[in-house]
Amino acid sequence: MPLEFDRAIIGTEFDRTVFAPISHEEILEYADASGEPLPPADGRSPMAPPTFVLRIRGRRFMPTNLPERVRTAFDAGKDIEFGARIRVGDVLTAVSTVHDIYEKTGRSGTMAFLVLRTVVTNQAGESVAVIDQKMMVR
Amino acid sequence: MVVQNREESVDVGHALAALHVRLTAEQVRCYALAARMPGGRFMSDEAARKEGLPGQIVPGNMSIALFARVIAAAWPTAELLQLHATFRGLVRPEVPLVVHGVVTETHRDAHGDRIECDLVLEGAEGDRWVTGTASIRLPARN
Amino acid sequence: MILDLHTHSEASEDSRAPVETYLKWLVRKRDILPIDGIVLTEHRQWDTQADYRGLEDTYGLLILRGAEVETDYGHVLVYGVNADITRRFDFTNVRLSAQELIPAVAEMGGIAVPCHPGRPTIGLCEHYEHKPPIEGVVAVEALNGGSRRGENERVQQLIDRYDYRAVGGSDSHLVSFIGICATEFDADIRSTEELVAALHRTEYRPVDFRERLKSGA
Repeated sequence: MPLEFDRAIIGTEFDRTVFAPISHEEILEYADASGEPLPPADGRSPMAPPTFVLRIRGRRFMPTNLPERVRTAFDAGKDIEFGARIRVGDVLTAVSTVHDIYEKTGRSGTMAFLVLRTVVTNQAGESVAVIDQKMMVR
Repeated sequence: MVVQNREESVDVGHALAALHVRLTAEQVRCYALAARMPGGRFMSDEAARKEGLPGQIVPGNMSIALFARVIAAAWPTAELLQLHATFRGLVRPEVPLVVHGVVTETHRDAHGDRIECDLVLEGAEGDRWVTGTASIRLPARN
Repeated sequence: MILDLHTHSEASEDSRAPVETYLKWLVRKRDILPIDGIVLTEHRQWDTQADYRGLEDTYGLLILRGAEVETDYGHVLVYGVNADITRRFDFTNVRLSAQELIPAVAEMGGIAVPCHPGRPTIGLCEHYEHKPPIEGVVAVEALNGGSRRGENERVQQLIDRYDYRAVGGSDSHLVSFIGICATEFDADIRSTEELVAALHRTEYRPVDFRERLKSGA
């Protein structure tokens, strides 16, 4: 059954979250769980492994005004552009928008894809990451 | 061809050392919690089946972390510039996985050497569950 | 002449492979992958402006273009796309009628080839289990480099039963998968028109280079 999306939601911001300062404990917990090595020390405050940024999830993971079926969507993939490294003490802001919507067919049948873009910046206004997440809705 | 700071050449076609891994159900749970994604589908077979899944699944983000591990193992001081991943099937815990990559392009620009890689996560039988690419900056030689 | 008939560049939303990087890879791997050219078959689109003649000259490889469209019988590769075809069929529509598309494309000077027929949901085999066969199918993609275990093997029954001809393609979305499966033609092909004519009338067969790549031979 096709999923009807109102394409007018493309470009709309659905979440803006400012996070508490990043702690060393959070970085260590993530590195241990992911198996990613900690980046080498560079004389400044400790850095997080690159994919730590995927942990930066706002209060709202999706726009709220979507069909219920979207709540059980699957992660279909990500495009991540990395910027400034995340360090202990950083205060990060994540702004999420609906970037695109399209439809295609695959092994799972006809699927709608919702692309959500999250731009993460730090307290200095530097881009930390731009993450495009593709959510697949059957 | 670019030369990295350990005086080893990196050519197109260079294969990154493969990562052979078998993620346990507990490791998947720990990752999901550490990554702030404690959805039922990542926590247990029972919770995943309630969502219509065959059992507990590995978060896509964890597969991306496996890609990052392969890159970090190849070039510990490199800077990851871009990472792209497409999830083509469900990755399950408790099954053997292989993550491998190959260099497909090398550039030299004003900022130094940049490498492009293809990355694949596949099951023991060769089915490709996750495919992706990475763009990496190698530090300048001393 | 060996052509990879099913490839996706970064123009397809799930590929990150630049066309030029595909060509550089093929030139470098020439001893293992004796590919003479590729056909870019982007998902659900047709770019009237794309022009790869400069890259053809630089790398000495043929670059043709087609499209992969989505129908009620699964995915189909369309070669010989022209204005008549794109006026009649909206390639962004994921519910095109295969019974209409395949004969109409042939009438309008092209050829439509069902791809990965053994794949669940989007392959012909499964649809033929409960729907009538499509009129006018000449060939199917018997060898697809992106298919899972068993999916290519399912296609032989289809070929035997309906006397379809067989092609091969990599279905590459990554640079390093270009050319792993392809089609070997007895005819020499230098244009899309010659490709369409060859698929209709001449001898060809799928070729598989995956074992060669694994062994590095």
